[in-house]
Formats: sequence, C-alpha cells, structure tokens
Amino acid sequence: MATHVLESVDENLGDTSLCYQCAKCSNGCPVAEDMDILPHQVIHLASLGLEEEVLDSRTIWICANCYACAVKCPNDINITSVMNDLKQKAIDHGFKPQIPEVYQFHQVFTQDVFRRGKAHELFIMGEYNLRLMKPFKNVFLAPKMFLKDKLKVLPPRAVKGFRKWVHKLLIIRRKQRRVNRIVS
Amino acid sequence: MAKKIGLYPGCSLEASASNYLMSIEKVLSVLEVDYSIMENWNCCGATSVKTIDQDMNLMLNLRNLAEAEKQGYDELVVPCASCFHRLATTNFELMQDRQLLEDLNKECGCKYNGKVHVRNILDFFVNVIGLDKIASKVTHPLSGLIVASYYGCLNTRVPGMESFDTMEYPMSMDNIVKTLGAEPIDWSYKTECCGASLFLTMDSVSERLVGKILKDASLRTADCITVSCPMCQTNLDTKQGKIRSEYSIAESIPVPFFTQLMGLAFGMSHEEVGLDKNFEKMEPLT
Repeated sequence: MATHVLESVDENLGDTSLCYQCAKCSNGCPVAEDMDILPHQVIHLASLGLEEEVLDSRTIWICANCYACAVKCPNDINITSVMNDLKQKAIDHGFKPQIPEVYQFHQVFTQDVFRRGKAHELFIMGEYNLRLMKPFKNVFLAPKMFLKDKLKVLPPRAVKGFRKWVHKLLIIRRKQRRVNRIVS
Repeated sequence: MAKKIGLYPGCSLEASASNYLMSIEKVLSVLEVDYSIMENWNCCGATSVKTIDQDMNLMLNLRNLAEAEKQGYDELVVPCASCFHRLATTNFELMQDRQLLEDLNKECGCKYNGKVHVRNILDFFVNVIGLDKIASKVTHPLSGLIVASYYGCLNTRVPGMESFDTMEYPMSMDNIVKTLGAEPIDWSYKTECCGASLFLTMDSVSERLVGKILKDASLRTADCITVSCPMCQTNLDTKQGKIRSEYSIAESIPVPFFTQLMGLAFGMSHEEVGLDKNFEKMEPLT
C-alpha cells in the first residue's frame, strides 16, 4: 500500500521513481509561491506513501497546466499530467478539492461541452458564478465584451450526433470509474 | 498530390476571439493558401475535461482526429495553443501506443488510422507557407513598431514530442514580425505562463502572472505584445487596465494577434483585421 498513488499513476507519464529531487520543476513553476507543497515534494511525498497529504493539497488544484515542469524534468516525468492524475484520484477517493472554485469551474466547463460538443463561454461564466454564489464575479468585463462582440449570447450550434456519442461513453466511463474505486 | 489542409477553429475562435479567425482567413486568402475549415469538430476539452477525466479528453480529441481523417485532411492547422496542445499530444500518444488507439477507436466507434498531421499555426506560417512568401505580400511594412512576441506555454511545450520551435526561446513569431518590417525584441517572458486557465477562478494569481509579462514588455519599450493564442489574448488584454494600475505600468500595451499584424502589413485596415474588437487600442502607424 505504501506507494499506492504513484503505483497507480499511469506509466505513460514517466517513471516517477526516477525522481532524484533536483527541484527543477519547482524552480520553473510560475505558481509555486501559491502552493502548499512544491511539485518536487509532491513526487517525494507520494513515493513515501504519504498520499493523503498530496490528495488533500492546494497544489494539485492550483497547477496552471503550463507544462513548464514537464519539459524541464531531466528524467522525463510528465509532472503536469501527474498533477491531473492526482486531481482525478482526489475526487475518486472522496477528498474535498482544496480549491473548490477550480474544481467547480472545470466541472461546469466539462458539463457544458458535453451538452453540445462545444463550449459556450457566456453560459460557463454565468453558471460558474451561480455555483459559487458570487453572481457578480467578473461581471465588470461583460458590458465591454458584449460591445466588442466577444460574448455570444446564443450557444454555438450543437455538433451533429455528439450528444448521443458522449452519453454512451459517459455511461461506460462511470461504470469503469466505479470499478476502479472498488478495486483500489 | 498537394496536401489537403484543414483549419480547426476551436470554440474561442467562434466567440471571444472571432476577430482572430477573421484575420487568419483574410491573411490566408492574400497568401493564396488552399484550405477549408473542418466540419463537425468538437471542443478539445481544454484544461477542464482532462482535469475531470483524462480518458474522456483523449476520446474527445480522437473524435476530432477521426473526423478530420474522414474528411480527407492531411494537415490540421490549429490556431489556439490550447486546442493545438490537446490535439497534438493526443495524436502523439495514440501513435506511440497502437493498442490504446485500437481500444479507444472501438470504444468511441471511431476509425482513426493516424494519418492526420496536427500543425500549430505558427509552424504552418513559417514552415509551410514560408517567410519569403509572407515577405512578398508586405505592402505596408510596420517600420518602427517594436513588438514583443509572446508564445505562452502551450505552443511549444509538448513533453516527449518534437516541438516545431525551441521550447525555451522560440523564434517563429519573432521571425514573422521581422518579415513584416517591425522590430522584434529580446525579452524574458516569451514562454512564461499567463495563467489563463486560472483567469476566472484564481484571479489574483493570473493577474500577477499577467502583471509580470506586461511589466517586462513595457520596460523593454514594446509598443505591443503579439500573440497566437486566444486564451493569452483575452488574459493579457481584457483586465489590463486593472492590472496596469496594480503593477504601476503607465502605458497601455495593445495585444494584437500576429495575424492581425500581418493583415496590417498586407495593407488592410484596423477594422478589416478586427483590431477594433480588442480592448487595448492599437494606434495607427504613422
């Protein structure tokens, strides 16, 4: 059980056991100062089996997905994708996301895309604000964006056959993820 | 036989960055490029879907690749850095792991064989169209315009893959800028992340990252920051007034798409390339 998180991290993301703590990832990370655990420490903690600390961290949610760490790693560990893997594991294992806004946003975005195959920016902004119960967040941008034709009121036209396609897949995926949860 | 070229617009280019698509289409027509916009594409999932479910993200992009292949495209040109990253890395991952491709094809009801080449728009302009061809169409050189080329993170950071440009210090956009008669500058924030994925969620973080980028460009006397990514454009442009006052940057720094600069150099007006739709106003060249 000790190396549970790392063992279950997808092997395509590189061999995380090769990490020798050079901290290039943490040094190049643009949001390191906002993290509670630095990227090289995430890899270290997880390999020590201290998975709860990692899954319960702000770090995995604040990662901006810029891949600076991934291209700097001398051992070709795709740290950015490891972070995304850890986010999924945190959710699957019932950890409350430490930065709920980020999780909420990604969820709203994903649900919107699954609705018609394309994202509707205005709706995503609106629904995200409602979920956070901060209806006026970033609203100061809206009037100018409308004037500049940067916010479309109507959603984009649905992609033909997409909804059916995605729903079929989602049913399979939900079953798979439930199985994963029981196994691990 | 000539390669069939498709353009994958992505969600932003149909909404918040519709002026980017407009300028791309106008510039491509001046350059006499034979292309068409791909049909029946879906969202690449951006940073969000892979955060919720990485496999679903692969499948979304497999669907796009399979559609492009079905429509006969050899090359898929992608303007948005985020879409490019998702499509190109998915393509790479599936080509590395044929078993995965086979399994996902089966699961998604797709028939992708791996024949599509996903190309970044900068790669397309520099390495397919070529700087000579671009130079031949310049009628109104942008003389005296000092330009900071901003690549952001996702254009060149493709782990494990061969990037079309250097990851640490790319030059493709600078070379285009130079071809247009403008003056590209050497600066430190070319590939620093602007935090666009945190634009709506962690405002203070993305604003700090944007502040640093604007500050460096302004210290190096750039007249504008040119970009190729709609996320970067929105993030550097829309909240600039607020950010500039927080980081004591005196002058406005317009953020045109590189294709908008190209349009200007080809003799088009600000309105024709949609520069009037950007927040920070670009002054006409004298």
